[in-house]
Amino acid sequence: MKELQKFAYPIFFAVMAVLPHLLNDRWQAVAITFLIFAVVALSQDIILGKAGMFNMGQALFFGMGAYTTAILNNQFGWPIAATIPLAILIPAMFGILLAGPIVHLRGDYLLVVTIGFNIVFVQVLQNNLGGVTGGPNGIFGLDSLSLFGFDLMSQVAVYYFAFIVLLLTLWVMHNLAGSKPGRALHYLREDQLAAESIGINTRIYKIFAFGLGAGIAGLAGTVFAVQYSAVSPEAFEFIQSVLFFSIVLVGGSSVPGILLGVFVMFVLPEIFREFATWRYFIFGFAMIAAMILRPRGIWPATFGKIPKFLIKGGSHGAQ
Amino acid sequence: MARNELVLTDVTKRFGGLTAVDTLSFKVAEGQIYGIIGPNGAGKTTVFNCITGIYKSEEGSVNWRGEEIRGLTPYQIVDRGIVRTFQTIRLFGQMSVAENIMSGRHIRSMQSWWHGIIPTPGKKRDELENWQKVEEQLDFFNLSEFAATPTGSLPYGIQRRVEMARAMAVDPTLLILDEPAAGLNDKETLGLLETIFKIRDKGVTVLLIEHDMDMVMEVTDYLTVINFGKKIAEGTPEQIQKDPAVIEAYLGSEEDDEDE
Ligand SMILES: Nc1ncnc2c1ncn2[C@@H]1O[C@H](COP(=O)(O)OP(=O)(O)OP(=O)(O)O)[C@@H](O)[C@H]1O
Ligand SMILES: [Mg+2]
Repeated sequence: MKELQKFAYPIFFAVMAVLPHLLNDRWQAVAITFLIFAVVALSQDIILGKAGMFNMGQALFFGMGAYTTAILNNQFGWPIAATIPLAILIPAMFGILLAGPIVHLRGDYLLVVTIGFNIVFVQVLQNNLGGVTGGPNGIFGLDSLSLFGFDLMSQVAVYYFAFIVLLLTLWVMHNLAGSKPGRALHYLREDQLAAESIGINTRIYKIFAFGLGAGIAGLAGTVFAVQYSAVSPEAFEFIQSVLFFSIVLVGGSSVPGILLGVFVMFVLPEIFREFATWRYFIFGFAMIAAMILRPRGIWPATFGKIPKFLIKGGSHGAQ
Repeated sequence: MARNELVLTDVTKRFGGLTAVDTLSFKVAEGQIYGIIGPNGAGKTTVFNCITGIYKSEEGSVNWRGEEIRGLTPYQIVDRGIVRTFQTIRLFGQMSVAENIMSGRHIRSMQSWWHGIIPTPGKKRDELENWQKVEEQLDFFNLSEFAATPTGSLPYGIQRRVEMARAMAVDPTLLILDEPAAGLNDKETLGLLETIFKIRDKGVTVLLIEHDMDMVMEVTDYLTVINFGKKIAEGTPEQIQKDPAVIEAYLGSEEDDEDE
């Protein structure tokens, strides 16, 4: 598996780097969607996969980032690039504020509460609260991204914007995996009491996971808003959160598993158009089958990420 | 004269109508190997839970080096150098032995939350230093060959060692062991005794619960015997062995055990 991954990653990145030049307009759009939703699914993985918290409201943070960019650009005339910091920080702050009072809840209760948040969020958008969200129709006619005086209007430019955001996300997740806070998330997911008893303030790290996951989802929201030059409430409905949740669970909280999940859920329906209406049905079945046959996901996360010098000759179970 | 490190005064813990720990007092001095013994359900684990912040006793005081620690959270207690193991082993089952031990380095690591997002040279150094500390514990507990093995798949005796290694990785001042010999065979128990002496020689105070009388007599400097949450005797192993109250309560119940 390790050997395979050594080759698979460079090949995957190389293919993704040249991909838009091999595709026509329609498929470029599909590829961008894949990148954006992969980022959101990875951000959900930090909360659900790494920290084990049953968050069913990830579309909320995704939408909050998208709307932050849309409102600041459309209503206040900010350039898109200037909205990016706030499109990360506002959802992150919101994630932290929402998580504060709820992270101590047991899995099933947390699930219900986060669904509630997601529904309230969409209601707020639809009812045009504060007069800035544009109601059920959303906000149209955003500017395109421009950097250093270049207007990055073409779809290929948007693709590379999305690709860079994905690379950035993978880089952050790599840093997280080899860090004290990253390990703390694993410990508290595995056994919260044992984690507390070895000195980990689990509450702080749960809130950290929410903040980080929300911030990354928010950034994906910006890319989404740029792709369509528009935002509208239905893209951030609770059913979207269900998809992100399922992708992490079925994929198995690993990068390949999640990318595979996003591909099956968002790209395959485009390839087989007739499959599109069936996708929830088929994905539902896939979920049931995966949970029965492979309860830890199709491509489960592997642990044992320890420095080489600790693995002495004859080590059992070393990968 | 070694100073008192941990002083419990009239600690009482109730579960509904049941008084699991009843006005219990004892003092653990620096450098001691201190034993708590008593029959099944006597309240031993509950006392440990009151010391380590898992429960808060309704009454009494838990004093650590002059500071009242009753009511602190478990991680605040660990911050003061008090670390425990569990009667029913609680490891991070899917994670490797090395990662389990690394959790003990959590409070010693200099990393902040943002090091989980952006790496710095300081973080890299900190990671390396802490993994080296893990290596020390792997060597000390003779666990090197299992470094990359998920703990859930290991035999019981080795899991017990991993749990102790994880606690020792914190560099504790007081190590609290809840029935460390439970489920071990004779050979493993002998190894455990040796390990406990070596830990004490490193300057760590040890407080342990034990069921096995022979082992307790061999390893501890001083003992408190409890029954129904109350202290019925305290003293050196020699004194305890002669104490009529202990013989009646503790050894009596042991005979009952054998009848079962
Ligand atoms: N969380 C709890 N809720 C209710 N009762 C409890 C709880 N924990 C312990 N008890 C009760 O308190 C009493 C003391 O239990 P404790 O586990 O401290 O005993 P122990 O001396 O450690 O026994 P053992 O030798 O079996 O480990 C028992 O009667 C037990 O049933
Ligand atoms: Mg017990």
